[in-house]
Amino acid sequence: MFIDIACSQKRKYNQNAYGDFFASNRFPNMNRVVAVLSDGLGSGIKANILACMTSTMLLKFMENNSDIEKSCEVIMNSLPVCKVRGISYSTFSAIDCYDDGKAKIVEEGNPDFIWIRNNEVLKPEYQTIQSKDFKNRKMKVYNITLEKGDRIIFCSDGATQVAMGSKQYPLGLERSGLIKIILNKLNNESDISSKDLSDYLVKQIQYIAPNKELKDDTSILSLYCRDPRESLIFTGPPFHNEKDNYWANTFINFKGKKAISGGTTANIISRELNIPVKSHMSLSMGKLPGLSKMEGVDIVCEGILTLTKTLEYLESGKCENNAAKVLMDFMLDSDVIQFLVGAQMNKAHYDPNLPIEIEIRKNVIKKIALVLEEKYLKKVNVQFI
Amino acid sequence: MEKISVKVCTGTTCFVMGGANLQELHDLIPRKYGDKVEVSGSPCLGLCSINWEYSKAPYVKVNEAVVNEATVEKVLAEIDKQIGNN
Repeated sequence: MFIDIACSQKRKYNQNAYGDFFASNRFPNMNRVVAVLSDGLGSGIKANILACMTSTMLLKFMENNSDIEKSCEVIMNSLPVCKVRGISYSTFSAIDCYDDGKAKIVEEGNPDFIWIRNNEVLKPEYQTIQSKDFKNRKMKVYNITLEKGDRIIFCSDGATQVAMGSKQYPLGLERSGLIKIILNKLNNESDISSKDLSDYLVKQIQYIAPNKELKDDTSILSLYCRDPRESLIFTGPPFHNEKDNYWANTFINFKGKKAISGGTTANIISRELNIPVKSHMSLSMGKLPGLSKMEGVDIVCEGILTLTKTLEYLESGKCENNAAKVLMDFMLDSDVIQFLVGAQMNKAHYDPNLPIEIEIRKNVIKKIALVLEEKYLKKVNVQFI
Repeated sequence: MEKISVKVCTGTTCFVMGGANLQELHDLIPRKYGDKVEVSGSPCLGLCSINWEYSKAPYVKVNEAVVNEATVEKVLAEIDKQIGNN
């Protein structure tokens, strides 16, 4: 099971900074995801600092399995005190969950999370923990087991209190109103991704606000338990030529999406499986060789130049419209990415007379794997062949 | 008369050695020769790795003839030569 997680936010009207803060971390080797959504007191920069401190500290505490009660006391004691109100305050929702479905949720001050299974809202039991140092602060702790298809939605109170005082929503949208919007959307689009759902919900909330002006920062954190989207990228000729056929078959029989990055690699697979590969010059885009086509393969592109550019795009987040962008989108649309990296080198690539320096494939792939894991929270597996 | 096939290598070595400039053949050849010549790309013609110490990339194949250190002019000359032979 894969936990698809995404957060969408909108700022309070006329504010430059978000007063809610979202932080998360994925531990692919432990099949674990930790995420925190915090809402800071007030709005703007002050709220942003409070929420950011709360989220990042709590995330660290949870990652290290610290006692949640003690952790929260430490956080509350370390937040700066607001000059206007004389208190320090931020609310939060936090989840620590594993791919087998076991999840621990802790909430303080935010609206109760929404747990949806088969289009029905579940009502989980919880334990209440009273803060020792702060009278009005109570935490709710849930230990639940998620199943495939389940969704969890967290929100800041900006979402449930939107349009409060209006004729249509005297008490705001409320949790019940938000649930209606979610269930309605899921009825029409049952397998919507977390990102699309959270984007949709914050947009709907903004539509509800009078003049589309939000009176408070609004955040939706969405989790969706589903099968992982797997993909395989084959790059470089295998070291032992006699194994070409084996690896070509391993590649084509892979169930998820498939990409080939490398001209020689594409030719080897084409030869071993007797599937023609067609390169259309007209598909060349920008400063990189264009894409080719092979039946049963989603992307066929050039190797090391495209991979080097893809790495640059993944690191910077900026890209141009070319084969490297296509390859980057392919990676980002997957949850689990596997690389088959052929170890045979084309010596012509390392001719010092080439006008540009060409990186060693192994190194580029290692760097891509690292950025996919650390920045994009993907599960990555690299196999050298 | 059989169609002449032009294959432009879009592999790494050829691309960086000037193959990127050969993309204009895709527009130029149909305009100049109409249906007589068919131009396409190839993921890699595999020629740079054979004699890698003395690679003469970029490579283009005009039917079975290999054009070394190909330029648009050299490719067009080879096509003209083969059309003349036919």
